[in-house]
Amino acid sequence: MEGLVRLVDRLAERYGVSYYEVRLIRVTSSHVSMQNGRPEELGTNTETGIGVRAFNGAWGFSSANDMGRAEKAVETAMKIAKLSEGNSRIHLGDPVVEEVEIRPKKSFLDVNIGDKLALVKEVDSLLRGGGISSRSVGYGDGLEEVLYFNSLGSEIRTVVPRVRLGFSVTAGKNGVMQSYWKSFGGTAGWELVERIDLNHWTALVREKAISLLHARAPPSGEFDVIMDPELTGVFIHEALGHAAEADSVKNGESILAGRVGERIASEELTVVDDPTLPGGFGSYIYDDEGIRGKRVEIIRDGVLVGYLNDRETSALLDLEPNGHGRAQSYAHQPLVRMSNTYVEPRDWNFEEMVEEVKNGLYMIGDKGGEVDTASGTFTFGAREGYIIEKGEIRDHVRDVALSGKILDVLRNVRAVGNDLRIEFPGYCGKGQWVPVDDGGPHVLTRALVGGLR
Amino acid sequence: MIDELIGILERENVEWELYWERGRSGSFRIERETLERSQRKFYSGIGLRVGYLGKLGFSYVTGLNHEREALEEFVKRTIKLARVSEVPFPGFPTPSKVPHVKGLYDRRIESIPFEEAHAMARDFSLRMRELKDDSLTLSGSITLAVDHYGVVNSNGVRLEGKGTWMSLGAYAVKKGDGTGSGSYYQGYRSLQPFEEFENAIQRAISEAELSYRAGRLEPHSGEILLEPEAFRAVLGVFLENLSGESVYHRRSRFSEPGEEVAPGELVILDDATLPEGTGSFSFDGEGNPGERTVLVENGMVSSFLLDETYARLLGMESTGNAARDFRTVPHIGTSNVVVEPGKDDLEGFEGIIIKKVFGEHTANPVSGDFSLTVGLGYAVRNGEVVPFRDNMLAGNVFDFLRSIAAIGNRLERRGSFYSPRVLGVARLV
Repeated sequence: MEGLVRLVDRLAERYGVSYYEVRLIRVTSSHVSMQNGRPEELGTNTETGIGVRAFNGAWGFSSANDMGRAEKAVETAMKIAKLSEGNSRIHLGDPVVEEVEIRPKKSFLDVNIGDKLALVKEVDSLLRGGGISSRSVGYGDGLEEVLYFNSLGSEIRTVVPRVRLGFSVTAGKNGVMQSYWKSFGGTAGWELVERIDLNHWTALVREKAISLLHARAPPSGEFDVIMDPELTGVFIHEALGHAAEADSVKNGESILAGRVGERIASEELTVVDDPTLPGGFGSYIYDDEGIRGKRVEIIRDGVLVGYLNDRETSALLDLEPNGHGRAQSYAHQPLVRMSNTYVEPRDWNFEEMVEEVKNGLYMIGDKGGEVDTASGTFTFGAREGYIIEKGEIRDHVRDVALSGKILDVLRNVRAVGNDLRIEFPGYCGKGQWVPVDDGGPHVLTRALVGGLR
Repeated sequence: MIDELIGILERENVEWELYWERGRSGSFRIERETLERSQRKFYSGIGLRVGYLGKLGFSYVTGLNHEREALEEFVKRTIKLARVSEVPFPGFPTPSKVPHVKGLYDRRIESIPFEEAHAMARDFSLRMRELKDDSLTLSGSITLAVDHYGVVNSNGVRLEGKGTWMSLGAYAVKKGDGTGSGSYYQGYRSLQPFEEFENAIQRAISEAELSYRAGRLEPHSGEILLEPEAFRAVLGVFLENLSGESVYHRRSRFSEPGEEVAPGELVILDDATLPEGTGSFSFDGEGNPGERTVLVENGMVSSFLLDETYARLLGMESTGNAARDFRTVPHIGTSNVVVEPGKDDLEGFEGIIIKKVFGEHTANPVSGDFSLTVGLGYAVRNGEVVPFRDNMLAGNVFDFLRSIAAIGNRLERRGSFYSPRVLGVARLV
């Protein structure tokens, strides 16, 4: 290790590099999956790699997964930085020397792979039932050990465990098919899996898929929409989170550029991104630039108050660094990313919210989303929904995607519930995939519903 | 080292398969017309599948330089996994003749000095500066990559290949009273002349100009013309139903080929043998030959996409669609998807045309229902072009395919997707 630091220092000097950082990462993971009672995958692997970034007004990066090429990767990053000679600035700050760990109650490394397979089999058998034509279960865990050091003298060792269990079913009848699924995950150990009430959730997933066979296609047009906590999560991730990532602000690609201090949303709305949330699937201690992850208020009472930033955007926009530079792996450069993003609760209860809606929809469950941060349009899918007429919940509807203009939908938030939940793990893609979580309470707003009626 | 590993495996009483890779990529990211991030990555590794008493084990190692002891341990660990895995082992492919596919490798990409590639990216950024005006912000990316790979198994399959790739992307944002955005992406197998860079910037700018003028269009139900990029999103929902895995696990609309899905004119292929195709290959991730597979013809589903496992489970032949890297076991993927051109001249079409949509992962492949946000479309009436965006395109993919009224006669390629314009019935919300 000391030899590597000396080598990197020497090369940085030789190539005139003003700043560098090195990440040595080892991930020990296991994965078990099963479809219709047939085991599909079962494996345990350990992968080690190095990622090196060097800065000379622009970034040079190199990575390798063959540690015999580590020195070559270091030199390549330095050479590229020397070649680049850009004009950008980055936040430097004081060196950090720390060893920190997210400690699970029960490490999944101590759990036999046979027990993981037994869990998957148990879930599969619980998903069996009349009307279900297909079942799928996947379990995965990974312990990420990172040694980070940079030219400032930082040396940070972190250990973060992450575990995930997901299952889905497809129901079919008379040529109609519908699916439903549920995922659990967090920065935790095997105890997360042990706490799941599998009987409850597998029954719910089965019942929902079967019930959706009889659901109607949704209507189309602009409607009042109540989102459940899970859908609120994907909504706020797509509609606000991506536009608040400061690299999109820097690159002229965000509708929120230059708007800090401005009221951009309903006063009901306060939105937070918090990597320090205990156990959150998107949680971490230090980001991939060696900066401690901090809780960030993006919107407070409707006013835009913060962006998520990295070393580069915090220097450019003169912001306090908040540790949101995240990379998918040692082979990826950090980008500004979300962690656990959520809407803070207010005092509405769900029944009051429903009474508010004369003609609208109650939409439930996340099917993912996408956003064009420059044009300010986003889309997000719900797994199911119900028509609301004159304050009463009525027909079940299926296959619904919603769309809206970011600022319109944020301003149209009329009610924010008191029932906060942040427990909807997933992966966010932005050229790279990183684990995130999101959520919120029930939220009432207005959006365009792309239904078939 | 692969030979050494084979030697170790041949001593064991198991069936085995090695998939190895070694490659590198160089990529460049331009932000606000400035080359901000340049990178060069090296990777290599070996994936090992072992069949033992009817069960399958899989694990991988990174790097291609390991001591004997590490290789012995790798083999031992994988056999141990096969013992406990309970994953049924369907068997590996046997050797068969693989096609020679032209144009998959360009020596110029493998041998280009990094400095030269860096200079090319800088020229790309300088051209952006020349083409921009005060209302525009431009960004872009270039990637150059080379990959050497091979499959070896205990049935006698011994195959090696190499490929090169280049990708080019440009993104434009126009700001004024409002905002518009435009993008262009293309993939190639060979090093491209500067005209392609220029073309990428121009196309992103012209799309941003259209997008800037676009508002929402009145709702419409009826004929809508989909340009290739929009049709790709809709067709993707359908193609999930043709995966042998979906069929076997009863998550597909189809249980066997032969079902009528579209007018006779529609022909959809998966073709791994297209010269210079970014999705082309001589052999797939298990060593089966790359093939030209007709998926839809004469209005009917004529084949599914199959790897060795699901072909055997369904009692069919592999179509050479096992996609993988060394970290993964094979899974079913497409190679190049080709919608064959029709006989209609849709270039002068007047009506509603959709160029881009997004959000296709929110669609439901088993029901076929989709509602996608329109990134950019335009209505042409009496020669006048009125751009629009932010509507939703809603429909059902099975209904849309059945409703196809015309297929354009001009094929366009975007990456590994080839398609003409397609006219069908859907709803604009």
